[in-house]
Amino acid sequence: MAEDSNRDALAGPGALWEALRALLPRTKEELRLDLRASVEGSVVVLLQQAADLFYGGRRSECLQACEAVLDYSWEKLNTGLWQDVDKDWRRVYAFGCLLKAMCLCEAPGDSATVAAALRACDMGLLMGAAIFDDILIKVAAVLQAHLLPGKRPAQGPAPEQPRLKKARNGHVSIPDMRSEKAVPRLHCPSLQHFRKHYLIPQTPVILEGVADHWPCMKKWSLEYIQEIAGCRTVPVEVGSRYTDEEWSQRLMTVSEFISCYILNEIPELKQDISIPDYCCLGDGEEEEITINAWFGPPGTVSPLHQDPQQNFLAQVLGRKYIRLYSPQESEAVYPHDTHLLHNTSQVGPRGLAAPPPPPGGRTTLQPSSVLSLLRCDLPSGNCVVIPWAPSQEAVPKARKRPLATAGQPSCPPGAPASQLPAHCSLGRGLDVRLSMYIYFVHINVLVLFV
Amino acid sequence: MAEERPGSWFGFGFCGFGQALGSGRGRQVLSPEPLRLPDAGTDICGVSAAWSYTAFVSRAGRVLLSGSAGGAADGCRDAWASETLLVVLRDGRGPGPGAELQAWAPGSALRGEPLWAQTVAPEAGREDGAGGGTRAGPLPLLPCARAYVSPRPPLYRPLAPELRARRLELGAEHALLLDEAGQVYSWGGGRHGQLGHGTLEAELAPRLLEALQGLRMAEVAAGGWHSVCVSEMGDIYIWGWNESGQLALPARGLAEDGQTVAGEATALKEDGSGVKGPAGTEEGAAAPFIAVQPFPALLDLPLGSDAVTASCGSRHTAVVTRTGELYTWGWGKYGQLGHQDTASWDRPRRVQYFVDKRLQVTAVRCGPWNTYVRAVEQS
Repeated sequence: MAEDSNRDALAGPGALWEALRALLPRTKEELRLDLRASVEGSVVVLLQQAADLFYGGRRSECLQACEAVLDYSWEKLNTGLWQDVDKDWRRVYAFGCLLKAMCLCEAPGDSATVAAALRACDMGLLMGAAIFDDILIKVAAVLQAHLLPGKRPAQGPAPEQPRLKKARNGHVSIPDMRSEKAVPRLHCPSLQHFRKHYLIPQTPVILEGVADHWPCMKKWSLEYIQEIAGCRTVPVEVGSRYTDEEWSQRLMTVSEFISCYILNEIPELKQDISIPDYCCLGDGEEEEITINAWFGPPGTVSPLHQDPQQNFLAQVLGRKYIRLYSPQESEAVYPHDTHLLHNTSQVGPRGLAAPPPPPGGRTTLQPSSVLSLLRCDLPSGNCVVIPWAPSQEAVPKARKRPLATAGQPSCPPGAPASQLPAHCSLGRGLDVRLSMYIYFVHINVLVLFV
Repeated sequence: MAEERPGSWFGFGFCGFGQALGSGRGRQVLSPEPLRLPDAGTDICGVSAAWSYTAFVSRAGRVLLSGSAGGAADGCRDAWASETLLVVLRDGRGPGPGAELQAWAPGSALRGEPLWAQTVAPEAGREDGAGGGTRAGPLPLLPCARAYVSPRPPLYRPLAPELRARRLELGAEHALLLDEAGQVYSWGGGRHGQLGHGTLEAELAPRLLEALQGLRMAEVAAGGWHSVCVSEMGDIYIWGWNESGQLALPARGLAEDGQTVAGEATALKEDGSGVKGPAGTEEGAAAPFIAVQPFPALLDLPLGSDAVTASCGSRHTAVVTRTGELYTWGWGKYGQLGHQDTASWDRPRRVQYFVDKRLQVTAVRCGPWNTYVRAVEQS
């Protein structure tokens, strides 16, 4: 166990290495990936070389080989659509991250080295696929335990602060929703009632009292998240909405994000979220539930868009205003005609900035007057159900690419526009979105902090 | 790939599989070194480099493989190396000018039978052998210009005859075609702007680059996700992904690593370490970073040099000027830029080695992570 907490340098570097080494198989023969022919023979040779070098104790040569593995598989991950990337390339990438992290920790190093190793693990978790029984999660946990708070490396030069798009008047303006029809509210309905009256007829509903017993409601604060996940690298969307020109995605640690901007991929946080029973009404498997965590300052706006799954959206901290349009109105919300933004409307929260050529002769769009619109005021502890999903043939099994490279724009999964429901939100704090997808046998849990 | 003047080849960049590049020490070469092949004295007229091996074609018609793949074969006119497939154009078995196109697994060392073979028609009405500029270009374009070879099935891909293809280059997910009239076409995946049509949409069939219409191009080159063409007047047009500065535009990733020179007052020398005030732009504040350039941008080389030929690796670019200088930029982690370090550059930078050795560069061929250069003594 680590001793001597008086030293600033990493306490007991030998202990760290022992703990990491114990996670790997004893022999290099066991550290082998079964890869299909889509991975070229030269890469398989290089992977074997890297394993040989690692078990042979040739650290710097192993690192060199890992870099080549990572660079080459990175190129494969960036070729074609993310959903079409062969999973074996992601496993190769994860393998490279694993050995790199291990190599970085072999010699006694300072906390900056451990942070670099943890970053390598996080890249493998973000872009790679699970290998050797989720070994990267275990390695990350060991590294994180050694990066105790207060012993984190001094922050390097602060990442460049991008211009955050602030609301014009500096306040979060609350939209006038008086003329809109309210989403109905229920307190913990029975499964049968929920299914019969809301899920099957595809009607949105706010479920009260569903999430207020979750541990995250009590435990999550910026300090807590900083403590649990501050040293982990996550992708961050920068810019007030993803249709803006200045919008981009960056990689940074949670600490950097919190210190720069305020304040998913981290299982410890996931344990604080429970899955409401209502989600089990779908046909999907529980392990297909994914959780995305979103932080955000007040005034963050999501443009009108559609997600490929049905959603349960729960607020953890703060408050969110949501507008929902029914699927019948999808043409009227002017989806972008590019494939990337096919699921996104060109309509802002207060109407179109510049109307595109109208399909049916309408020249201006006043959402509240023309469309059947529902509004939703979601305080913390509550869940709204957005049950609309596109028709089965319309949706590819798209997943969001976690992050290709810093600076490159990335959009939510693009479902072709058909039967577009949409929600547009102004929010603050934290919210949780759980998605249920009856046709494709998927249940997704999305945690949103907005 | 035939060259008129005799010269010697140099190499730099990644050689982690032992592919002949220079002196043969280590996994990468950071500065140009004379190419050393086992068959000393072979007169190399063509180079085609894949990631883990390189194919050399000699004037005598011999193809030599070096790196993860080895072996040699005679009677070859041309070779094109990709990671999964080695394509060779060999003299036909029968009499006459016909040739045979063969696709080999790189590991086969050119022994046994090819994976696939097809007789190809000679170019209509053209002489065989070393030709001038209007001959249909090297592989992957076939001599008849009616089809090209792809590393992914289907291997043999016809081209519409009205395209009158002169030169064809393949990127990771796109293709560039140069026709007889000097017009450029592109098709394939477009998510990184590499097609140059101003959008991120894919194109299924060759589409003319309207932005370049009317300009006669002399050369095209395709990188992993970027495209370059050189006009007959010596101008460079470049578009696609700029994540490593391969478009010579300010790249955010380089700035965050402290490597970009965009907007900085670094030691600017006239040889192209940087440019004082690039043409037309007053850089008071830092220039905005460009991740993707979806339509062609004109690129000026330092000192107003004219370009004659270009080649691209997966994330770097190399250009030869009329006066025989070599400029490189983009991803440099494996020394593929030849500047004696592993820095990436988002500005054109002259490779000083050839200037110092009084060599005139005549040709450049980039592999994905390395660069081969042909140079002659200055007269």
